[in-house]
Amino acid sequence: MIEFPLSLLTVSILGAVLAGFACSTMGTFVVRLNLASIGYLMSHAAFAGAAFGLMISIDPMIGAVIFSFGTAIILGPLAEKARLQSNVVIGFLFSFMIALAFIFLNYIPGQAASGTALRILWGSIFSVSNNDLLFLLLLSFILIIFIVVFYKELLAVMFNRKLAESSGVNTKLFYFAVLFFTGFAVSLSLQLVGGLLVFALIINPTSTAYQFLYDFKKIVIFSPIIGIVSCLVGFFLSLLTDFPIGASIVVISAAVFVFAIVVSPKRRKGNSKKQKLSIISKI
Amino acid sequence: MIENSNVIELKNIETFYEGEKIPVIHDITFNIKNGEFVSIIGPNGAGKTTLLETINGLLHYTEGKGYVFGMEILKNKTEIRKEIGYVIQNFEIDPLSPFLCKDIVLSGRTGKIGAFKFTSKKDWDKVWYSMGLVGMIDFANRSVGKLSGGEFQKILIARALAQEPKLLLLDEPFSNLDFAARKQIETLLNRIHEKQVITIVMVSHDLSFVPNRCNRVIVLDRGRIIMDGKKQDILKSEMIHKIFNGNGKKK
Ligand SMILES: Nc1ncnc2c1ncn2[C@@H]1O[C@H](COP(=O)(O)OP(=O)(O)OP(=O)(O)O)[C@@H](O)[C@H]1O
Ligand SMILES: [Mg+2]
Repeated sequence: MIEFPLSLLTVSILGAVLAGFACSTMGTFVVRLNLASIGYLMSHAAFAGAAFGLMISIDPMIGAVIFSFGTAIILGPLAEKARLQSNVVIGFLFSFMIALAFIFLNYIPGQAASGTALRILWGSIFSVSNNDLLFLLLLSFILIIFIVVFYKELLAVMFNRKLAESSGVNTKLFYFAVLFFTGFAVSLSLQLVGGLLVFALIINPTSTAYQFLYDFKKIVIFSPIIGIVSCLVGFFLSLLTDFPIGASIVVISAAVFVFAIVVSPKRRKGNSKKQKLSIISKI
Repeated sequence: MIENSNVIELKNIETFYEGEKIPVIHDITFNIKNGEFVSIIGPNGAGKTTLLETINGLLHYTEGKGYVFGMEILKNKTEIRKEIGYVIQNFEIDPLSPFLCKDIVLSGRTGKIGAFKFTSKKDWDKVWYSMGLVGMIDFANRSVGKLSGGEFQKILIARALAQEPKLLLLDEPFSNLDFAARKQIETLLNRIHEKQVITIVMVSHDLSFVPNRCNRVIVLDRGRIIMDGKKQDILKSEMIHKIFNGNGKKK
């Protein structure tokens, strides 16, 4: 009897670590490419997708992956050409996705409905299945390989797309790779952190790292570390206090970020990041 | 491939921006031979940047034919770009930009090193060498976000040089430099051009800063080539003063 909850706890802790890693790693690139708005939409599409998955009784993760990829494919090209600046479009699609999600949630069959619905809304510590863990592990592994192998290309693209393109880098490939990996990271972390808050896990740790560091390599290393720590601390906070896990992770990562702003040597220049945070905290 | 001595060959090129109805550059035809140093001058909005970006394929021409190194531009973009160094017209650097100068200079070699390959010592040697050329060695470990406009411009020039390009496209490389720095970069360009076989195409709207070794000038106005010839002849001609009268505004 003792062993079962222990291993469940281990799975959950590992899940939190890997979700923190995957999300905040992708955050490094999402923030730099100014993809915050599309990433934000993608995570809510993933949320709607998970709800859809539950409604038609398939793994919500599959629904989430499909919906977030759909968003990436449809809106990626628009955002790429910088035509997606309009807050109106974002606001419209964002609320549309949430509305869809609620409609889907309403039709979830069976008795466990309300519990599952709550889970993908707010996240749940014990929602991480062995399968999810395996996928998260695989994604983290692929991300590490991807970043190590393509580090020089990624750095060039992150600095300036046009210059990268002019030195013979296929920037479109990397742009979409970032979108797709973000879609995966969001979809796989969704049940742990919850659909409404998962995007904060992408933005907050990275934004914190950007407050301190001037070297991209260090940001790539530290933002996942901050993400993992936020997730772990949030996880235990949630265990202790019974706060919803997603909320406690986000509260921790936001607190770290605020602390970073206060002590950051770059503080005077950090306004744009603050704005991004304020969008998120409005939810 | 027969006319191999031409590094750039453009025939009746026309380039649009997406969504626009009128091409920005029309009927552009010229050849640039291997080892030439050419300045393209013209007032603001003449289409100089558009022309440069058509040459390295960042913008697609919709009419005509363009070849670089004997290869059709649009079909061999990645290939030709490995040999083209491009210094972009000044853009704003985000002060939060978390990149070290040395990494930016190295990033010029990305395409040249190639996918799935790691940076070698030789690549870093090139980085140090070209940072030395522009006098920015001391800035190697500084963040680009903290540079002044002129320092940043020199880093971008070093970035292009680190690529060891056969063709160098410079878009207003002097725009942010003070007199001393201009002289320094001008001397540098002259020296590079003297020492190695390199073709340089430099864009400028400033008539007074055509480097010594540049002896051909192409004048662009409202998207058309209106003069193409020896530097001395062009600088003397009447037409040029008409175009550039009144502080370089369009006539
Ligand atoms: N992205 C764009 N979309 C539509 N039109 C553009 C775009 N970029 C430039 N243009 C237009 O094309 C024309 C030529 O622009 P270009 O940037 O090539 O000029 P330029 O000669 O480099 O000018 P400058 O000296 O100011 O750099 C201008 O009239 C400009 O308005
Ligand atoms: Mg220009």
